[in-house]
Amino acid sequence: MSASETTVVAGSGEQPARPAAPSGKKPRRRSRAPLRARLRRDWPLLLMTVPAGLLLLAFHYLPTLGNVVAFLDYNPYAGDTPLQALFSSVWIGFGNFDLIFSDPAFWQALENTLTITVFQLVFFFPLPIAMAILVNSVLSTKARSFIQTVVYLPHFFSWVLVVTFFVQMLGGAGLLSQELRQAGVDPPNIMTDPDTFIVLVTAEAVWKDAGWGMIIFLAALATIDPNLYEQSAVDGAGRWRRLWHITLPGLRPVIVLLLILRLGDALSVGFEQFILQRDAVGRGAAEVLDTFVYYQSIATGNYGFGAAAGLFKAVVGLVLILVANKVANMIGERGLISRS
Amino acid sequence: MTSPLAGAATNRRKFLGLAGLSAVSVAGGGLLTGCGEERSGSGGTADTGKFADVLPAKGELPAGLPKPDLPGVKPMPDAYSSFPTNLVDAISEKPGTSGKEISALTPAWGPAPPGMANNAYIQAINAELGTPVNFSTHDGLTYVDKLNTLLGARDVPELLCVPQWEVDRLPRFSDATKALFEDLTPYLAGDKVKAYPMLATFPTEAWRTSVWNGRLMAIPNPTDGPFAWSFFYRKDLLDAKGLTYPKTIDELFEIGKQVTDPRKGVWAFNDITKMVAMLHKAPGSKTGWRLKPDGTPEHQLETPEYKQAIEFMAKVFKAGLVHPDVVATSGGDAKDLMESGKILFLQDGPGTWQGMQAEQQKITPTFNIQPVPIFSATGGDPLVWGDWEPISWLFIRKGLAKERVEELLRIINWCSAPFGTKEWVQREFGVEGKHFTNPSAPAKTELGFKEIANQYFFISGRQPVIPPAPETPRYVSELVAYNNAMVKYLEKDPWEGIKIEFPAAYKAASTPNEDKITDIVRGRRPLSDLDTLASDFRSKNGGDEARDLLAKALSNGGK
Amino acid sequence: MVGSFLKFLALSVMVLVVLIPMWSVLVTSLASRETLAEAGGSMVFLPKEIDFTAYQTILSGGIVTRALWISTLVTVAGTAISLTFTVLAAYGLSRPGSVGHRPILFYFLLTFLIYPGLVPTYLVVTGVGLKDSLWSLILPTAISVFNLVVMRGFFQNIPQDLLDSARIDGAGEFRILLRIVMPLSKAVIAVVGLFYAVGYWNAWFNALLFIDNSDKFPLQIVLRSMILLGQSPQFSGATTGSLPPTESIKMAVVVLTILPILVIYPFVQRHFIKGVILGAIKG
Repeated sequence: MSASETTVVAGSGEQPARPAAPSGKKPRRRSRAPLRARLRRDWPLLLMTVPAGLLLLAFHYLPTLGNVVAFLDYNPYAGDTPLQALFSSVWIGFGNFDLIFSDPAFWQALENTLTITVFQLVFFFPLPIAMAILVNSVLSTKARSFIQTVVYLPHFFSWVLVVTFFVQMLGGAGLLSQELRQAGVDPPNIMTDPDTFIVLVTAEAVWKDAGWGMIIFLAALATIDPNLYEQSAVDGAGRWRRLWHITLPGLRPVIVLLLILRLGDALSVGFEQFILQRDAVGRGAAEVLDTFVYYQSIATGNYGFGAAAGLFKAVVGLVLILVANKVANMIGERGLISRS
Repeated sequence: MTSPLAGAATNRRKFLGLAGLSAVSVAGGGLLTGCGEERSGSGGTADTGKFADVLPAKGELPAGLPKPDLPGVKPMPDAYSSFPTNLVDAISEKPGTSGKEISALTPAWGPAPPGMANNAYIQAINAELGTPVNFSTHDGLTYVDKLNTLLGARDVPELLCVPQWEVDRLPRFSDATKALFEDLTPYLAGDKVKAYPMLATFPTEAWRTSVWNGRLMAIPNPTDGPFAWSFFYRKDLLDAKGLTYPKTIDELFEIGKQVTDPRKGVWAFNDITKMVAMLHKAPGSKTGWRLKPDGTPEHQLETPEYKQAIEFMAKVFKAGLVHPDVVATSGGDAKDLMESGKILFLQDGPGTWQGMQAEQQKITPTFNIQPVPIFSATGGDPLVWGDWEPISWLFIRKGLAKERVEELLRIINWCSAPFGTKEWVQREFGVEGKHFTNPSAPAKTELGFKEIANQYFFISGRQPVIPPAPETPRYVSELVAYNNAMVKYLEKDPWEGIKIEFPAAYKAASTPNEDKITDIVRGRRPLSDLDTLASDFRSKNGGDEARDLLAKALSNGGK
Repeated sequence: MVGSFLKFLALSVMVLVVLIPMWSVLVTSLASRETLAEAGGSMVFLPKEIDFTAYQTILSGGIVTRALWISTLVTVAGTAISLTFTVLAAYGLSRPGSVGHRPILFYFLLTFLIYPGLVPTYLVVTGVGLKDSLWSLILPTAISVFNLVVMRGFFQNIPQDLLDSARIDGAGEFRILLRIVMPLSKAVIAVVGLFYAVGYWNAWFNALLFIDNSDKFPLQIVLRSMILLGQSPQFSGATTGSLPPTESIKMAVVVLTILPILVIYPFVQRHFIKGVILGAIKG
């Protein structure tokens, strides 16, 4: 299969299989033809995007317009229809944003979110890399594929299931506590201690997704030229030296790419995971931005306030991803947006 | 009051039993759950005593209803120990005339019952009604999400049930009633209610609570008991240990310590903070207020009683007497734990009693739960929180034709037929031989349990009584005895009959405050935080604003 | 060799950490009341016997059985629709330089950044008449732009020479997609299909909002109401006195929820690396 032979990691612009085009310019090649001719040629491609495009228009963009309530003192009961309510509500500009920024609960949620992001960056992010290197060193194909099969699996469980698993295993009345108690040891409050909550959510995220996160690094490892290892082994480089000088540089583009993506998503640490456990440890530790938005808009019907918080999150996310991309470009990596 | 006959009791107990009101927690007497509305709003009050002109006239119950044999101390409902042999046929005409399907949204707890197409019970009642009601039964614990979405989108069904404890979580609700629901004053005020004789028998107090913006907006589903919380214990398990229920707060702690045995997986309590606050006689009226001797309102957060209670609760948590699962989930599991004997004391809605007893005695014949008689932790008479707010309100969609509204009201009237009528048995138990057996002491069949989930109960109301519970023969007399003993300690609400819309800041602070209290009792915050909380409550969190409002309500209301 | 022992240890931990909880859930779902009571807690680790009562109870035709069918239907139909539209759009966007390529791509990518509120979405879904229809569980979430980008990346890695020569032979784009691109893209189609299927299978929130008729509730709603809210389900056994332990029932529902994923998963798993990576990295 042709696809498997192509370079995997590089993320190198378009069609690596077309060496003829000078890099950087090739997308323009087609545009020289007059529009009419291009239309005649490309209309099937346009047509193909229509169904998906329409679905997004109807179920994503159309309702996105509703975010305008972020700038209103929105009263859903003014006028006779939701639309009239929209028009007859008072425009208050950034009033809702002022309210958000003066709300200590918002800052608490923001702080929690960022703390968790940073914590997971340190304790979660490197794990899949290490696991991939470990698994990659397993020689038996059968053993390797067995390990992969098992550790990918939790990625496909819903959060309800993951949290259930954790409660049943580590919860106060779960398997572990039961065994400990029988052995006469006082079990710790793993599921309910707000001080260690950050460890718990990270552990859950690791359990669910670290195995899956490994997959991308495994693929990258597969593209590293084995000759490099042989040569350096001949040169007398030890295992760690080879790891440092060959393996990690080979993984660098992927690592940078994933870091950018993670940073762009720094304000999302997972909605369901937190809403499921928020009550167990109290809002002090478990309220994150996503749950804050949810409780403001749906659970209390404070639509304008909630929409404003959601917009804030989107804008900051955009800024973060642009900044991260810029930084990556500056340090000489091919970021994310220089493509397409 | 006229002879109080009707039959909410079984149903309400059952639904409260399933509801896990401990999880809903704002059911009443809850801590700091305001209901302010306008975002910048300073709140408002309405003295419902003034609404005499919009309220329905009180009517007589149908003739020939049986007499209750276990009278309640007024205003507690009377009770029946057995089913009557002769049922009254209270409504002879079919209420439905158009045959056009009625849409309705009602809550249900536990697994959802089958929809109309697969539900013989709904089909049977609909045949009686003449016009089918198509229920959307929605999970009670996420009901507020659904309500907020429907209200925000202004897409409400013809009949919408709004549970009383959810109203506080629906912002601008009085605006919503104006915009979305039919004003029922022209249909029901004064003598007009005579067209719907069953509705006319509801307690006037319940109607009073159904007035928004000075108009009669909803049909109440009156409560059969005012108590906010009960404190149950596993009598069978305590007896086996040679113990009995606590009569003082120290005994409570001691017994808690004696029965807790983590190695066997047994703890004493679920989260009993509210019960302990009540035992310490902290105030509970209107989300936790009372009047000081000088006549100024005072919130529970500011009272020494409440502080004592929180200290006690912190001690209970610290001693490890609360089941760790309750700490881990939002509390919904507490009933399971009580049923399986993993906790021996349960703070829960009063409705838990009969449902749990009936269910569990089939598995464990010796199963026996009883309410702990409320005692005072600090001497003197105990204090019991509660109010007479209805279980739920039923709203009718705005803009329907006059004939349609009248048809809906006739349907509601049919569903509201009281205990002792043929209609009541049908609504409650479905079809004889199919959904229940033994008409002299009806018992639901498997199909009955599967299909009947209080659908029609939530589109009706009645003058409450406590009907017999044949599965649990001791229960009715035990309940009446408990009710009659406790009602004399029912806290007097200084603002009774006054609808309070608390200021926005007060309302916004309620949940965070509650979270902080939870943190304190669970040892995540120091006890001293309680004082900070109280001073913040006064200055920042709308406490003083709410106090002024409450004070003004009394001077204006003339109550 | 200390090194290889440590390696073995680390790998074993990775595998066991996943397998042990799943094992315990399975054993608990097959435990009898007596075994559960003996275990004292709620979970069982060592099997004493195999007791299918819990499964019989939930599968005896009731809400779980119905929900199982609904979820299966939605997952199968939804995955088919999602895959079709995603393949089409991904191919339509796979050629930079085609008419409108950049704006259309931007149009799709923009959805990552802003997303709609709940009430407006509800208004649209009911506005187009999907309320209480199973379509409301499919159409609003039918397109995942992430999946689309993955698939587009994969398509772009197909050697253009193949496509160009087909074009010279006079094949239209639809024909090229069907005859050349798709056969070469089994891996990514399998993987993206699995993503979609798992997404549909695990979804619940839309059902909460859009489905009124309880006969149309999917399995995850039932699972949530049993597990999260700790409600004891009122099964038909309730009146006969043969109520199996709720813990077993809960765990049996968990097993039922996982089972379909376990069944499909091995068939797709071997495509993972090829399908995901090529697409994701290239995208």
